[in-house]
Amino acid sequence: MEKLGRILRIGPTDNTSNERTPRENLRIIPPAARDSFLPYSRVQPGIRMGENDLTRLAPQMPRAEGDAIEMSGQILDDIGQPLRHALVEIWNANKYGKYAHDLDGYDAPLDPNFSGLGRTLTDEEGRYKFWTIDPGCYLARPDINRWRPKHIHLSIRGGASRLITQMYFKDAEHNDTDPMRIVMAEDFHLNIGKKYETPDIDVERGFKFDIVIRGKNSTFFE
Amino acid sequence: MNDTINPTNRLPLTNEDTVGPYYPISYDHDDGMDLTKSTIGQQFGAKGDKIILRGRYLDKDGNGAHGALIEFWQANAQGVFRTEDTEASPEIDPHFDGYTRHRTVTGGFQLKTIKSGTQLGRAPNITLTLFSDGISRLVTQVFFENEVSNETDPVLLSLPQDKREKLIARLVGEDDDNVPIYDIEIILAGKGETPFFDDFLALGWRD
Ligand SMILES: [Fe+3]
Repeated sequence: MEKLGRILRIGPTDNTSNERTPRENLRIIPPAARDSFLPYSRVQPGIRMGENDLTRLAPQMPRAEGDAIEMSGQILDDIGQPLRHALVEIWNANKYGKYAHDLDGYDAPLDPNFSGLGRTLTDEEGRYKFWTIDPGCYLARPDINRWRPKHIHLSIRGGASRLITQMYFKDAEHNDTDPMRIVMAEDFHLNIGKKYETPDIDVERGFKFDIVIRGKNSTFFE
Repeated sequence: MNDTINPTNRLPLTNEDTVGPYYPISYDHDDGMDLTKSTIGQQFGAKGDKIILRGRYLDKDGNGAHGALIEFWQANAQGVFRTEDTEASPEIDPHFDGYTRHRTVTGGFQLKTIKSGTQLGRAPNITLTLFSDGISRLVTQVFFENEVSNETDPVLLSLPQDKREKLIARLVGEDDDNVPIYDIEIILAGKGETPFFDDFLALGWRD
């Protein structure tokens, strides 16, 4: 019998997931074609100063509303090697759960001092650091009153590694009913930032989010 | 952690997650949709036959997958991928990267590129990865009509005949500079679904 790949799960109560998730099994890639499925990106955009501080639009500008938080961590491949000089992009909603994105129609205030966009490059040890505003949760399905718990989006790319994911917060409101959290099941803990104190820094608290990503040295399990 | 699902000493992978509906438009400004020119304003360009690939991602109801992030990845005219390992190879085209990405507005895209060469028995193809709200990631490869090498390509041969057709872009005309235009429709879910592949390179594979 023909060997097939995974069936992708549909996030419960997620309309887009229902509309866009393939119903058939994924197909196994023939060994001769495996390498061709692994993109390699040389893109290394210029990063402006202060782009990893989302709490102000520019260094001299007023601070955005809400609690300023630090988010930091290390990006490793699955054998523990740091991912150096990789592009890390984050985006998150403001204190009220509203994105500055022009497609966000959620009925909550915009903060004129918060764009919600930041990016940086990892250092020699694969470390990154951002300051942002503790995001609000938002009502994703008003028809059934289903909310998205607070979260910070991340995209990582560098060399042959890339990942799009989200950092969540421990025991946050609405975590349990979130479709992607339900799909992640017992692995959800891997996507939770670990809180730490930031006594001498100009932010309320920190969250450590270490990330493990498949890199060029990956092997296949079958 | 549970040793039975991680039989090696590898670190458990962070879960992929949906890109959500609000991936910042501003982040892909640098990612051009013309791979035939590495530097705007110079006469240097990629070697190879220029083509235009027009595509549309359609959902279960036939609507365009708006606000999705697409990655494109392909070999150069000699059939060689530009990676860390091949960077010094004489077969590398200094004016061709083979990688870009694009955020869809209504689900469509138009990529100007060159047709990749045939090496290792592969037919010319482009790997498309889709990151979208509601799903974590979808990967497939697109091929081109009337290529003899399609008959022996291992990816196409791994599919039943009706699924092969889904991955072959159709020649529909040419632009003002006589660059051939190919069209592909990628159906994400339901009737006429496009085949997607389990690359499990960025996902933990457990069974
Ligand atoms: Fe979000």
